[in-house]
Amino acid sequence: MAISTADTAPVTATPTPARQAPTPRWRSREALTAWLFILPSLIGFLIFTAGPVVAAGVISLLNWNLFSAPTWAGLHNFARLGPDPTFWSALGSTAYFTLVSVPLTILVSLLLALLLNQGLQRIAVFRSLLLLPYATITVAVAFVWIWLYIPHDGLVNAVLGWFGINGPAWLISDTWAMPALILMSVWKSFGFGMVVFLAGLQAIPQQLYEAGRVDGTSPWKSLRHITLPMLSPALFFVVVTSVIGSFQVFDQALIMTNGGPGTRTTTLVMYIYRTGFENYDQGYAAAQSLVLFAFIVIITAGQFLFQQRLVHYDN
Amino acid sequence: MNKLSRRGFLQVSGLAGLGLAAGCSSGPPSGTATWAMWSSSAAEKKVWEDFGKYVEHQLGVKSVATLTPSSGYPTKLDLQLVSGTASLVTALNGTLIPTYAARGAHRPLDDLIEADPDFELDDFYDTSRKISSFNGKTYAIGFDVAPTVMYYNKDLLNKQGIPLPSRTEPMSWATFRDLTKQLTKSGEQYGFTCAPAIDDLVSWIYCAGGNVMSADASRSALGDPEAMEALQFVIDLFVKDKVTPPIKNLVTESSLSNFMQGNVAFMQNGPWQVVNARKAKFDWDIIPFPAGANGSTPRVSGSSFAIPSGVREGAELDLAWKLLKTLTSTGALDIYAKAGRNNPARLSAGSAFQPPPDNLGIVQDILAGKAAGGHAFDVTTNWNQVKQLLGQDLPRTFLGQVTVPDAITGLTPRLDVLMRQHLDTVRQATARKG
Repeated sequence: MAISTADTAPVTATPTPARQAPTPRWRSREALTAWLFILPSLIGFLIFTAGPVVAAGVISLLNWNLFSAPTWAGLHNFARLGPDPTFWSALGSTAYFTLVSVPLTILVSLLLALLLNQGLQRIAVFRSLLLLPYATITVAVAFVWIWLYIPHDGLVNAVLGWFGINGPAWLISDTWAMPALILMSVWKSFGFGMVVFLAGLQAIPQQLYEAGRVDGTSPWKSLRHITLPMLSPALFFVVVTSVIGSFQVFDQALIMTNGGPGTRTTTLVMYIYRTGFENYDQGYAAAQSLVLFAFIVIITAGQFLFQQRLVHYDN
Repeated sequence: MNKLSRRGFLQVSGLAGLGLAAGCSSGPPSGTATWAMWSSSAAEKKVWEDFGKYVEHQLGVKSVATLTPSSGYPTKLDLQLVSGTASLVTALNGTLIPTYAARGAHRPLDDLIEADPDFELDDFYDTSRKISSFNGKTYAIGFDVAPTVMYYNKDLLNKQGIPLPSRTEPMSWATFRDLTKQLTKSGEQYGFTCAPAIDDLVSWIYCAGGNVMSADASRSALGDPEAMEALQFVIDLFVKDKVTPPIKNLVTESSLSNFMQGNVAFMQNGPWQVVNARKAKFDWDIIPFPAGANGSTPRVSGSSFAIPSGVREGAELDLAWKLLKTLTSTGALDIYAKAGRNNPARLSAGSAFQPPPDNLGIVQDILAGKAAGGHAFDVTTNWNQVKQLLGQDLPRTFLGQVTVPDAITGLTPRLDVLMRQHLDTVRQATARKG
């Protein structure tokens, strides 16, 4: 059909602005640049984190001894977890470790950070010294602590002896092996929390304290109502990372007690390692690691939900 | 100075990355004699370097040895076997040969032995051949084998005016116990030391006529009267008689370091520690293991070389077999024995394992059945699991935290499950003709 253009306005006269479809945000130059920047990290995450998690999911459904071809096991490996006393004992030991070591580490870190924030001279020297345990390899620290814990000649019992206390045989005692590991772990890891808290403390506006002083606030109230609320984002960060790290405790237990006496200090990650690489039961080890993963996800999600009520951000 | 543009920088980085990747991924060229071995000290490394030179001289090809500290060796070997990057020949501890063989990780060698008229399997001690076999097939060729013996501090016995024990006739358990009690001065001097672990306990169990598992490996035999008698005897030495140095840490407890202090009279250990005991600042020697109801029949253990199943038939397998023969030849084992590492698995290389100590010849006499006796270390195809289970509960008996009957009663049902799993694995291996 022919279209007459005689009575139509020339196109060039008053052009109607054509409505261009807006470029999607994800295709904008800015977004592409951002994607390029995060690409290396994203590739690393996909290969070294997401990939292994998916692989563990697949392996958990197989019977695989590493050397022979795997066979289908379905959910059998998960069903084995229920009646396995070592799994539950390892889970209990890991929970014990986490429940005691995380609050202790945070308490020590916070106290030291508060102390270092008092305008001490040579603060950088103290900060570096206190950060040393965190920067030292766990294996080396574990060997030093084995010597400290020697029942008769060790430094720990020698110090207790000054106060008339007959110290236990720490690492071979049913009762004291886990507390001994916890004590060493607290010493090893408080430096990280301390640095984070110190940074958080130094970011708190001084006028809040000045206003408090004008109102006659006591140091304790100032700590409770100014410092802790303002520090809550840092506190939340340290709690989340410490809980995740504690659930993955492995090296110190392996070196200092090898999981003993009995299974008193056998942690979940140690049991997973043994199942997979000493007993060649890859499917069952993968099932255990997925359960551990689920525990960590649930606990971390719970912490994120809980933080909405307790953590105060500037904005 | 020329400025490097951003594009130029990216190109150079890319090329460097490719170069690195290529460098990392390329293994030794085809035709290289590759072999894997554990090595935890400079002296040990030197022996394996000499092995490498010997291989190159004998085979006329380049030798590349992958040396790994002994604690990490099994894990590294597993990963190499799974990823298809294992060496042509790999060393295996005798206790793990059934584990690898049953899972098809290594190939049987019977066809290669049969087709090679030059290879004399008869030159290897019977116990070494037994340790290297699984399910009626030879999976490895031994390079060392030795019975557990009793080391003793001559100076300490002389100082106490105690006559030195017979060099050939094993003493009875009762005599041994009396001696250790006589030689103990609490907190100062001790009669005996051994590791608080199953590896050392089995020697006493074998001497009493017992075993860890029943003859058909269908159940745990640790609760049988013979094994119980042996376990109670050793635990009594620790807990009741207190003739042993106090245990400070179950992980780091070392009978050798206790003995080297110079205040311990007897140490249970193998001739593989002779090389370390030579550093002692006192006079010492070795004697046969004390005899129980079944005589002196302590654990005989050894290590071997094997060929992974992934080695391809043809030129690669030919080279692997030649390499394995060379690594276990009299010439190579002479190097090993002359360095004092351990008793060689070949009879023809025995003369190279020389004193000190004076009575070192007893090791070969025991293996040849001329004196005392020995018992090849009986293990299952899931020995890691068995050892792990025993390692959890048995050490607590050494500390007096649990009695022997309670520990064994608690262990037996779990051990029985592992024995049944072992039999299943053997059945699967048999069905696979492995």
